[in-house]
Order: sequence, then C-alpha cells, then structure tokens
Amino acid sequence: MASRYLIAASIALVVVSLSFAVAYGALGTAVPLENIRSLARAYVTLAYAPWNRTLTAMSPEAVTSIVWDFRGVDTFFETTVLFGAIIGTVTLFRGIKPSARIGEGLSIIARSAAAVTAPMILAVAAAIALHGHLTPGGGFQGGATAAVVALVILVTFSLGYLVSGLSKERALMLRSAGLLGIAAVALIPLILGGVVFQNQAKELSQFSYPAYIGGALTSGSLLFYNLFESLAVAAGLTLTIMLLLSPHEVVEEAVRGEEHERV
Amino acid sequence: MVIDPYLIGRFVGAAIVLVGAFYDLTGSIGMLRFPNFFTRLHAATVGAIGGSVLPMLGVSIYAASEPALGEYRWFMAGASAIAALIILIVAPAGTHVLARAAYRSGTAPKEPCTYDAGEEGDER
Repeated sequence: MASRYLIAASIALVVVSLSFAVAYGALGTAVPLENIRSLARAYVTLAYAPWNRTLTAMSPEAVTSIVWDFRGVDTFFETTVLFGAIIGTVTLFRGIKPSARIGEGLSIIARSAAAVTAPMILAVAAAIALHGHLTPGGGFQGGATAAVVALVILVTFSLGYLVSGLSKERALMLRSAGLLGIAAVALIPLILGGVVFQNQAKELSQFSYPAYIGGALTSGSLLFYNLFESLAVAAGLTLTIMLLLSPHEVVEEAVRGEEHERV
Repeated sequence: MVIDPYLIGRFVGAAIVLVGAFYDLTGSIGMLRFPNFFTRLHAATVGAIGGSVLPMLGVSIYAASEPALGEYRWFMAGASAIAALIILIVAPAGTHVLARAAYRSGTAPKEPCTYDAGEEGDER
C-alpha cells in the first residue's frame, strides 16, 4: 500500500516541479547566442572555481557540473522521458506476474563465477555513481552498471531467483523513491528561499548546498542527484529487464484477458 | 656491486609481459589452425589467460617497481592486479558456459574427436 502512495506522490511532484520550472522561465529564450563558444568556455572554466563562489558548480568534473547544475533542467527532462518509457512498459505489461518459480539455472561453475563477480560489479557501480562529481561517470552510468548485476543473475540463476529477491512492486517503489529524491533535491532550494535546481549560492539567492562534507569535496547537490539518479536508473532498468524477459506463456495469458461468452 | 631491486622488478615485469605476448601469438595461431569449435575455444582461453592475465600481472609488477611514477604507481599496480584476478575468474566461466551449451545442444560438430567423456553417461 505504501508503495502506491509513494508512486502517486512522485508523479505529482514531477508534474508540480515541471510546471514550476516552465513557469519560472527555466527553459530560457529560444534565441541562440551570438557567440556560442564563449558559453562553452565559461562552463569549462567555472566548473571548479572556488575563487568565484557565486558562479561555480564546485565540481572538477565539467560534464557532471553541466549535466546537473548549469543545464539541470535539460537533464530533468531527459530523466522524465526515460521514466515515461519505463512507466509505459510497466503499463503495457500490467497484470503480468513474473513467475517466482526458481529455475535450475546454468551449471555450478557459471553460478559460482556470477556469485563472485556480482558484488564486484555492484561496488564498481557505486564507485561510478558516487564519484560522478569527481571523475567521469555519474548517476545514470552507475545505475546502468548496477542493472547489469540483475541481468547476470537472471541469466545464470533464473528469473524466479531474481524475482524472489526483488519483486516487481519493490523495484517500482525503489525507482519512485529515486525519482522523488531527485525532485526533492531540486525543490528544497525553492522552499528555503533559492531557485529551482540551485546548487551553490548566487548573488541574488543565498541558498547553497554544502560543497564539502567532513572535508571531502561533495560538490553540493551533484552528489545527491547522482545518488538518487543511480537508484532510479538501476531499479527502472532492472524492472524493464524483468518484464521484457518474462516467459512467453505468462505474457500471453495476461494479454489475452478473460474469456467472454458471445451474446 | 649493488643491484637495484627496482631494476630487477622491472626486468621481471617486462619478461612476464613478453611471455604473455608469446601466449597471444600461439593462441591466435591456434584460433586459425584448429579444426573445430571446442579446440578453437581452447585456443581462445590460452589467449585470455596466458595472453591477458599474465601480462597484466607483469604490468602490475613493473608499475610497482617504477619510482618515477610516484604514488600513482600503487594505483596502477593494484588496478592491473585486480583486473587480472577478475579476468582469471570470469574468462574460464564464460568459456565453460559456451562449451557446455554447444555440447549439449549439439550445434557444433565434434569431428575430429578422439575422446568424449560426455558419451559415457557422465551427463550432469
């Protein structure tokens, strides 16, 4: 039941935050700039600039600072498109219960190798996601890497084994929690007197996420965006893999529906 | 005469990389010359273990004994060693899965065959 409320709240928040962004003119004017190269130069120069705290994103990784700070609304729309596609898949496959029958899987050698490497893949995924503001990578890449674990388990063990650990509802709930987290990180500055998608303090709005936590560079909101994005992408892709690789008979039975007497 | 231990380490690392190059060469010749799927799979595994795990360990030893790289040499050495370990676990498992699937489905021809353990009722 709680998962249903969480999903409803995340959809409502996405709609509210989107309309806020559009109403506040976050999309900007449609006229392209005269000198587009100066824009790129400014982005690269200002990605990590502690001497210019009102314009910088405080992240040595220029791509992540563009993706989540300078052009945050773009990324928000891209994320929305992807999750619209996942919601569409879930809607098309509604009523399908991925069978919880635990199959035989591959041989013991393949299963042992998968069991040894799966935690390693998860560790690499976490490193990619949580280091996204320092080194190349980020939430999406880390989440996609984590979804590989689900695929490996599905192939070497069985679909039932995966579903017994992570049910369809739980994956949907994790995905919604991640999306909710992204929306919350984007909206918290607005509530506390800043603007949507604000990271560091600007001249006109003083709100700022902490650039350093315990002495470690966390680049303000970028760490939180990467964290929640990786959660949402990992759960969403796992859910899609689970549904698309369901056995044919299960899908057919759900799609066919109930039989009706012809009057 | 004093022998620099770093120099020995670099020589050992380079020698291991050379041995790995030999394995790669033999693996690729076998890939072209062997008669059927299973023997060619064996050649591919020679290339994977001898031709990439071994040189990666050599790179690890070489990097660890090169002070000119500074502190980052431990990063390089550790990354190479862990990559070698992961390939050591994953490559044989992948080859095993391929061989087992090809054998049980019967899609790959077994000729020429000198000994087939699976035909003696050792099916698992």
